[in-house]
Amino acid sequence: MRTLVCSLLICPLVALAQAPVIEISGANFRPLPIAVPLPQALNDGARTVSPAFDDAFFFDCSAAGIFQVLDRKSYLADAREGFTASTITFSRWADVGAEALVKVQLSVDGRELRGEMRMFTVSSGKEELRLVHVEPVDNPRKLAHFFADALYRQFTREPGPFQSHLAFVRRVGKGKDVYLGDWDGKRAAPVAQGSINLLPVVGPQGDSVAFTSYRSGKPALYLQRAGGVAVPLVNTGSMVTGVAFSPDGRRIAYSMAQGEGAQLYLADANGANPQPLTDSPYFINSSPTWSPDGKRIAFVSNRAGTPQLYVLPVANPKEVRRLTFQGNYNQTPDWSPRGDLIAFTARDERNAFDLFTVNVETGKVTRLTQDQGNNQEPSFAPNGRLVVFSSNRTGSSMLWVMTAEGQNQKMLPLEKGEYSTPDWGP
Amino acid sequence: MTSVAAAGPVSLLARRPEGPLVRFLFWSALVHAALFSLALVWAKLHETPAIDLDQKPIKATLVRQGTPRDEKLLPRIEQPPPPPMEQKAPEPVAVPEPPRPVAPSPVAAPAPPKTRQAGEKKADPRQKLLGAFDRMSKSKSAPDTTGAADGDPHGDAAVAEGEAYYARLRSQVTRFYDVSDTIPDAERIRLTAQVAVFISSTGQLERARLAKSSGNDLFDAAVMAAVKRASPFSPPPTHLRDALQKYGVVLMFRP
Repeated sequence: MRTLVCSLLICPLVALAQAPVIEISGANFRPLPIAVPLPQALNDGARTVSPAFDDAFFFDCSAAGIFQVLDRKSYLADAREGFTASTITFSRWADVGAEALVKVQLSVDGRELRGEMRMFTVSSGKEELRLVHVEPVDNPRKLAHFFADALYRQFTREPGPFQSHLAFVRRVGKGKDVYLGDWDGKRAAPVAQGSINLLPVVGPQGDSVAFTSYRSGKPALYLQRAGGVAVPLVNTGSMVTGVAFSPDGRRIAYSMAQGEGAQLYLADANGANPQPLTDSPYFINSSPTWSPDGKRIAFVSNRAGTPQLYVLPVANPKEVRRLTFQGNYNQTPDWSPRGDLIAFTARDERNAFDLFTVNVETGKVTRLTQDQGNNQEPSFAPNGRLVVFSSNRTGSSMLWVMTAEGQNQKMLPLEKGEYSTPDWGP
Repeated sequence: MTSVAAAGPVSLLARRPEGPLVRFLFWSALVHAALFSLALVWAKLHETPAIDLDQKPIKATLVRQGTPRDEKLLPRIEQPPPPPMEQKAPEPVAVPEPPRPVAPSPVAAPAPPKTRQAGEKKADPRQKLLGAFDRMSKSKSAPDTTGAADGDPHGDAAVAEGEAYYARLRSQVTRFYDVSDTIPDAERIRLTAQVAVFISSTGQLERARLAKSSGNDLFDAAVMAAVKRASPFSPPPTHLRDALQKYGVVLMFRP
């Protein structure tokens, strides 16, 4: 009897423990569907600045890569719906597929623009975020970028990229000018005009731009601070290109032509005390980019026959390590502020220029763009989540933004023109 | 007068006659024990599988069909595999009718050899050339995939691994494995959810239960939705039917 009871109890347990466990990974990360209705303007002054605010805020949310901003034409809710949880009919937002709802109220008082943003979870009707902020009335886009960053931080618990700055080159006639603007290219002001100005880099504090200019005949490095004039940074009479600031802003790395080749140099932030980093005569070493900890520099070299990416430790530059082994024309590297990836341009077997990332530790190369014109010159956002680049997929060379995985590619809202070499700085 | 019962010396160890109360208690305890055991067995039989957290998960993958890509070339973005084709039941084969007797017909005269009609045009060489280009363009429309010549059209990996049915199951669920992008990286690293899935012999999802929560509501909802949307699955092979119906399979989700 005892044996029977024991066997009855134990046998099923043995059988149940045999259920196999299948591991499933590789989730398709999809943006969160959110609704962003038009901001509510509480007075006439707010109605005047509301469109500019809305342009910037809607584009920030759309380009963030973590949201799927639902088409406003599909909204079912009353446009005069309230601003608090008790006055919102959440079922109407759920009907259009929204999982989160973002509402903004604007009011102008004198020279101040006051904004209040609330974010709700549609399924529960719970208010998750409430924020009030004031900016000068002549800069509604700044308020929009502030709210967009706050929204980004609420979901990801990471800093948003929307209050940062973008430097880029725009072709004007036969010359090329350098501009510095908001991250989306709006409110851009010329930094260097006339002559040919190339390869701008935003300074570590976001208030200066270094660039290569032919204004003296040969390409030399210049630094332009806000409200100041451009001063020579490195002007040796040789061809100098591609400056890169160290993350702490104390040093710069650049490439200087020597004979038939070009070598990398390390100098103080003001160009003093230059020291060679590479020593490979007859080969070209260029396009330095710093690791976020400032201990390593990645660059392009043709020492193996074709342009490939290499990494060297700043403390011991002779320990150069080749990073890329795929493709035969890899260039314009940019080290992610997160440290794990380097984005670069490569020419593939179809002779198209496209964007890739390489994992610094594993060397794994991942493609970001494909079959859409030529895509070049990637630059990571300060938080490492987005990448800005130039692309001629629509005809002229415009600036685009996408996630670091190549998703959600969107053109920046710039005037039509020829844009190149964007650099996304703080 | 006091009567004194005549009681002889009785040993305490001597067996006493069993009273009805003792018998009742004995049988009651026995019946209760039996009922309790039966209830335990019943509960265990109808419970979702006990998950052994130390059990090594199976990584089952299907090899993709295609030609292997040269390792020195830059990678191409993989196109999503085509949705699984519906397996239609074979149509009943029509029984051939017996040949009907045919009335003898007069022997037809042999057809005259075809000659080019006066109005018939010669094949235009330009049309031939354009046709060749057209065929070339059509031949290029094949999807550019990397895999193995003997792979599965629904495979999503370059190397096959594990039991083929589990690999197909994994492939079907992965197709619907959509997770919100707003989950922070720090959380993604530690997210793990387990779903116990019971599959009928026809491939229908009988039931699915969240056996182990990840602690993140968005992720838990996403994995449950993936299992439900992936149903119905392919019918299990004969040797797995009973096990998948009775004991199920545990899907361990990681981002």
